[in-house]
Amino acid sequence: MDLTQLLNGIAFGSLLMILSSGLAMIFGLRGVTNFAHGALYMAGAYIAFSVAKATSFWFALVVAPIGLAIIGAVLELVFFRRLQHRNHIEVGLITFGLAMIFERAVVLIWGEETHSVAPPALLEGTTNVFGTGYPTYRLAVIAVAIALALALGWWLNRTTSGLHVRAASHDVETSGILGINVDRVSLMVVCLGAGLAGLAGTLAAPYVSVYPAMGTTILIVVLIVVVVGGQGSIGGAMIAGMGLGVVQTVGSIWAPSLSVLVPYAALVVVLLWRPQGIAGKRV
Amino acid sequence: MAVGLGLGVAILAAGLVVPYVVSSRYYMGLLLDGVILAILALSIGFLARHLGLISLGHTAFFGGAAYAVGIAITRWEMSPPVAFVVAVAIGTLIALIMGLLVVRATGMGFLMLTLALGQALYQFSTQRAAAPWTGAYDGLQITYASGASFLGLDRASLMNAALFWPVAWSALIACAVLMWLIGRSSFGTMLEGIRENEERMRFSGFDTFVPRLIAFVVSGFVASIGGALFALNASYVSPELLSFVKAGDALTAAIVGGLGILLGPILGAIVYIFAQARFNTSGNLHLYTGTALVLILMFLPGGIFGSIDKVIRKLLPRRRRESSGSEPDRTADGGPSETSREKGMTG
Repeated sequence: MDLTQLLNGIAFGSLLMILSSGLAMIFGLRGVTNFAHGALYMAGAYIAFSVAKATSFWFALVVAPIGLAIIGAVLELVFFRRLQHRNHIEVGLITFGLAMIFERAVVLIWGEETHSVAPPALLEGTTNVFGTGYPTYRLAVIAVAIALALALGWWLNRTTSGLHVRAASHDVETSGILGINVDRVSLMVVCLGAGLAGLAGTLAAPYVSVYPAMGTTILIVVLIVVVVGGQGSIGGAMIAGMGLGVVQTVGSIWAPSLSVLVPYAALVVVLLWRPQGIAGKRV
Repeated sequence: MAVGLGLGVAILAAGLVVPYVVSSRYYMGLLLDGVILAILALSIGFLARHLGLISLGHTAFFGGAAYAVGIAITRWEMSPPVAFVVAVAIGTLIALIMGLLVVRATGMGFLMLTLALGQALYQFSTQRAAAPWTGAYDGLQITYASGASFLGLDRASLMNAALFWPVAWSALIACAVLMWLIGRSSFGTMLEGIRENEERMRFSGFDTFVPRLIAFVVSGFVASIGGALFALNASYVSPELLSFVKAGDALTAAIVGGLGILLGPILGAIVYIFAQARFNTSGNLHLYTGTALVLILMFLPGGIFGSIDKVIRKLLPRRRRESSGSEPDRTADGGPSETSREKGMTG
């Protein structure tokens, strides 16, 4: 197998990993499938595009995730919290409507055309990986994803606030009775999830182009990743995201026209084998 | 039941007059589009009402049957009536295959699985490998052999909304009556039992997989009829029919009308088509569709019909007491008592 293709797969898998961990986190805590997650990713890419053009990519890397975290706070306060006693499917469908609004709003602000963002000067060019030159920027994306996975794992498993998140994902009511401020925990988690979508959008901007349908295109893959990983399982989503990214990219060498069907095939195979997903319902 | 069937016949007859009353070709076209979307919305509403399952994958049956009509007439050179039957059979078969994979899931899991599998078919239709049949992104222009006709209508007549109207309208009413009869049969009662508490039904000795599958396939059958009629009328099929945007349109239409009542999705589809025609001129269709979806779900959870019903119940407290004794109040916020977070939507 070609090393470049494998690295491409890992880089795409890294993006899927960041996006799906955010989606899985929000699902675990609010029980809501956030259909606007792809739109948040797209909004992150557009904000990054504008900020990078005005100032620098490094600044965009800070501004876009924070901007999206603020949108996440609005989502939590206006929709998820206020509607928490309503049916979760209805709330999910509201996010579906929000995704439509976001996509059109982006077209109204930035137009239909595709934009591109240059990677920062420090990360331009290629780096030698076992004798093969590979774009430095993509290696940096992989590094960010690995660092994030480790940080999230440490936060969820080794800190008190992480414990609260795990407890609230497992059983909101009991956690509340035990004295965990569930509202604060979910605000934190939804902001973090949306912020991660913004980060993924920023990281994606320099190597996939920025266009209005980019959120919808990736949303379905990310939803599949979350189901395959096990709904609500952050670890499962990360493993499945990386796995699907690699399989799809590498698969595109052998069967270029059928590789887009890989996620769907993976979904069917995993569900027939383990309906609860590879990592069950644990966080 | 006789009263219901009589009502069905009366609505059927009343609807057949429409082409004589509506003289504008434009409005006639919109009404026909509304009726075809209504068949799809009706099939989605059926699953939501009886099983609490929301599907975003019904485009697989609708679009699948539409493509099957195109392929059967253009590539296999079948006559239109045979192609129609074959297409509905293919759409129903797709529903059976998808159903085997998804009916065990509930709530969000079901929604995401149907979305993913429907999207898989969309992706497949756009592939170069499928181009000989589907024309990939270009779609497929349906070309008829000379002298081919469907129920006495040639290609030009099929594409004429006023002439095609009786076919589409009769199909819609037939589908609505079919679903109404299923809903009030003992099978329908069993479905409601499964919706309310699947575990209890299983412990009471009922098999819950097969009834769910049957309901899913029936719903797919109705969506296939809608798709096949669409293809005959449009004479052209494109991947857009299979995309989840189309599924979103049909679902939005059903929610706008109200999922709690049989007629809700039909009304919703017609409102939706007219609103779409109006909003489309500004190019911001999805902005308005999304806003409508958000506002209705937030403030009018039962859709148009559900809200009318709620107002009537508030104005007539006596009637409320009577009816709440005989059947659960399905139009109140969020539908029947929600026992778990995975519970589906019925309201």
